[in-house]
Amino acid sequence: MPAHSTDPLLHPEVRQASILAYGAGFVASTVFMAIALVITLGRVLPYLGLLAAISALAMLALLAQVVLLFRLDLSETQLWKTVSLALVIPLFVLSIGLTGWMFHTLYPRTMLHFMAVQGSGSMM
Amino acid sequence: MSLVHLQGSWTPWLGRLTLSVILYHNGIVDGAFVFAAVTGIVILGVITYYRKWGYLIREWITSLDHKKIGVMYILIGLVMMFRGFIDALMIRTQQMMADGPDSPGHLQALHGYLPPYHFDQIYSSHGTIMILFAVTPILVGLMNLIVPLQIGARDMAFPYLNAVSLWLTAAGAGLVMASLFIGDFSHAGWIGLIPLTELPYSPGVGVDYWMWAIQIGSVGTTLGTVNLIATIVKMRAPGMTWFRMPIFTWTALSTNIIGLTAFPVLGVALALLGCDRYLGTHFYTAGLGGNLMLFTDLFWIWGHPEVYFLVLPAFGIISEIIPTFSERPLFGYITMVAATFAIAGISWSVWLHHFFTMGAGPDVNGFFSVATMLVGIPTGVKVFNWAFTLYRGRLRFDTPMLWAVGAVFLLLVGGLTGMMLAIPPINYTIHNSVFVVAHFHCMVLVVAFSIFGAIAYWFPKVFGFRLDEHNGKRVFACFSLGTFLVFAAMFALGFMGMTRRLDYLADPHWKPLLIVEEIGVFFYCVACYYFFRMLHVSIRDRAKNRVGADAWGTGRSPEWIARSPVPFYNFAATPHFNALDEAAWRRGQGLSDVAPRDYEPIATPKNTIAPPLIGALAFGFGFGMVWRIWWMAGLSLIAIIGVVILRSFATETEHVISAEQIRSMETTGSSVGIVTDHISPPVAEAEAFL
Ligand code: HEM
Ligand SMILES: [Cu+2]
Repeated sequence: MPAHSTDPLLHPEVRQASILAYGAGFVASTVFMAIALVITLGRVLPYLGLLAAISALAMLALLAQVVLLFRLDLSETQLWKTVSLALVIPLFVLSIGLTGWMFHTLYPRTMLHFMAVQGSGSMM
Repeated sequence: MSLVHLQGSWTPWLGRLTLSVILYHNGIVDGAFVFAAVTGIVILGVITYYRKWGYLIREWITSLDHKKIGVMYILIGLVMMFRGFIDALMIRTQQMMADGPDSPGHLQALHGYLPPYHFDQIYSSHGTIMILFAVTPILVGLMNLIVPLQIGARDMAFPYLNAVSLWLTAAGAGLVMASLFIGDFSHAGWIGLIPLTELPYSPGVGVDYWMWAIQIGSVGTTLGTVNLIATIVKMRAPGMTWFRMPIFTWTALSTNIIGLTAFPVLGVALALLGCDRYLGTHFYTAGLGGNLMLFTDLFWIWGHPEVYFLVLPAFGIISEIIPTFSERPLFGYITMVAATFAIAGISWSVWLHHFFTMGAGPDVNGFFSVATMLVGIPTGVKVFNWAFTLYRGRLRFDTPMLWAVGAVFLLLVGGLTGMMLAIPPINYTIHNSVFVVAHFHCMVLVVAFSIFGAIAYWFPKVFGFRLDEHNGKRVFACFSLGTFLVFAAMFALGFMGMTRRLDYLADPHWKPLLIVEEIGVFFYCVACYYFFRMLHVSIRDRAKNRVGADAWGTGRSPEWIARSPVPFYNFAATPHFNALDEAAWRRGQGLSDVAPRDYEPIATPKNTIAPPLIGALAFGFGFGMVWRIWWMAGLSLIAIIGVVILRSFATETEHVISAEQIRSMETTGSSVGIVTDHISPPVAEAEAFL
């Protein structure tokens, strides 16, 4: 391996860094997450509305981090990282999707609340 | 402080810590304490007496050399494995003694010799230690050691990060050990049975120890996965194309992709539990909007991939050992790579088979049942590939080969019983019975067998001499006999209805089989004895067992072209690769002994005290959180950030060895391996920085 004797400050990733973007990324993601916390604690929205709202806020926080903090794009320096992030999406869909499906079939069988709604409750 | 209701006292300076948590009135714990304290004092005393502190700190603790880090990982893992083994011995003995209403009680126990509260801590620590602090670190250590050698690299992509990972793992292991003497460990199983882990049901510090130890250790493991992936993708020497990569490196790549994607889920699952326990939230509580099934779900989203994180490198090890001792190339290299990635991919969609009985609908259980059984196909491909490699090979049964072949047999038993468990109607009858325990022990023993095989196989590469074969074979024989006795009996007990995690067993008919298991454990003890004797004899007779670059004479993959013991710079000149199985190719071409004509300067990373410091501070942070000593946790965290920032100002992080120095070290054949009695050059240079 060649000696890494070059100045680390010349590294392309380091060249991309900017205090402004870091600050903005930090503030933006903190704000989005704080809003999510507040509306969860406040219980102002109905169940589905709350779910939609915090999902949207999570997406925004993620975007703020991807764009402002990590500065991911399709340039040569960042391509590998962008691709790695994209590759995680199937896992995301898989784990959250299957979990959702599982709970969807689990609640009617195990949760008293749903048993009351559905009348007879357990099928097993 | 008032966010959650804490039992017992709390003071700002000491948190929940009081003198009474240290002083027990339990013979077993006192015994363990005395044993550990005496051992510790003896070890520290010996180091001091022989004035080895400087050596240890200079050559090992501050080292960034991937081989030394690998060896330290393996040492930590072996020590923890020994501790986990003592736990197992205690569990088995308690169950044998506490069978039937007439079984006598000793010490403070009604039956057997361990009261339930203590027994529960022992099986919880056994599982946590064996999976997360024994087998995982050993495998990570092996990958650290071998992967750079196999791809012709000088070190890992990020040597400093590598050391940070090691010391975070050490901090986690340290927390588990500390719980033995200061407070308790969790009694809620290695999987953290929910809602038992919630504060109202586990008001002590046990669950906190479990949670923070895993959390800190797994940050280390996650950082390690990034490092290994980057190393494999970016650091391959010229000619090392993707499809010339040795199988062990392929399995390392797939395993670390699994680790990188799965460990964060564990981190989140535990962090939410932490929110419940520290901030009074209701993620997993039974009421107030909490959902306790969510913990089980999240835990296994990590947990199942984790078991493949363990087994894939083991498959890689088997795939390295079998060709070497069959004197043939591995059968079906491409299918082996494909099977590795198929297993890794499928491992993400099977986790629900750990809770078929929770009550999800038949479609869901059916889906996960089929997905689970699909894993059998690529696993079967691997087994056939190994069988075809053995077929008509010129077989030699040196110790590594014995372990590898033993592992394949265990894989069959574990895999087939896994298939049984994957069928929901069967699972409903044997879930949470010791049949499950026997299944996964066969599987994790595949890993353990491979580890012992790997240690025997690669030891000469790292240290320059072989382990003693005579005692090594005895370790194998006793270990295998113990495995057979314990787990054959355990499968039978599972069918007889014995459930997991029992401190008292109601059915006296189980007694004979429990005694068989205890006899099996006795053979494990004998295996331990021979293991230590093997180390002793090997080191004593090392001059007799010296080896050259190709320690077994029939090595195939590239690590066998490096000198044994591997010099700290790995390869005197950057190797160029010409074929899959480079060492075998060079042997075939008569190029094994060719020395490079020209040497170039080599840069190696300088030592630094930062990683062990970060590890120590992480321990302080974890300890502070466990005992709710906020100032301690806070200061440690700030100090960690400070150390990281300070270190980023270090500019002279590399030490360059001139071409002449390399030439002289290569031509005089002087020992520049990892155990030397003189100060190795990168260290001598770095002294100023310490
Ligand atoms: C052919 C592949 C495999 C199949 C079909 C399989 C199937 C299963 C099933 C269905 C269970 C759940 C049993 C229950 O709790 O009712 C289980 C548990 C388990 N398996 Fe496997 N398994 C396989 C491979 C492995 C491997 C490779 C490992 C580890 C190296 C492993 C480790 C475990 C562990 C640790 C548990 C239980 C954890 C616990 O509840 O404490 N399995 N397996
Ligand atoms: Cu599983």
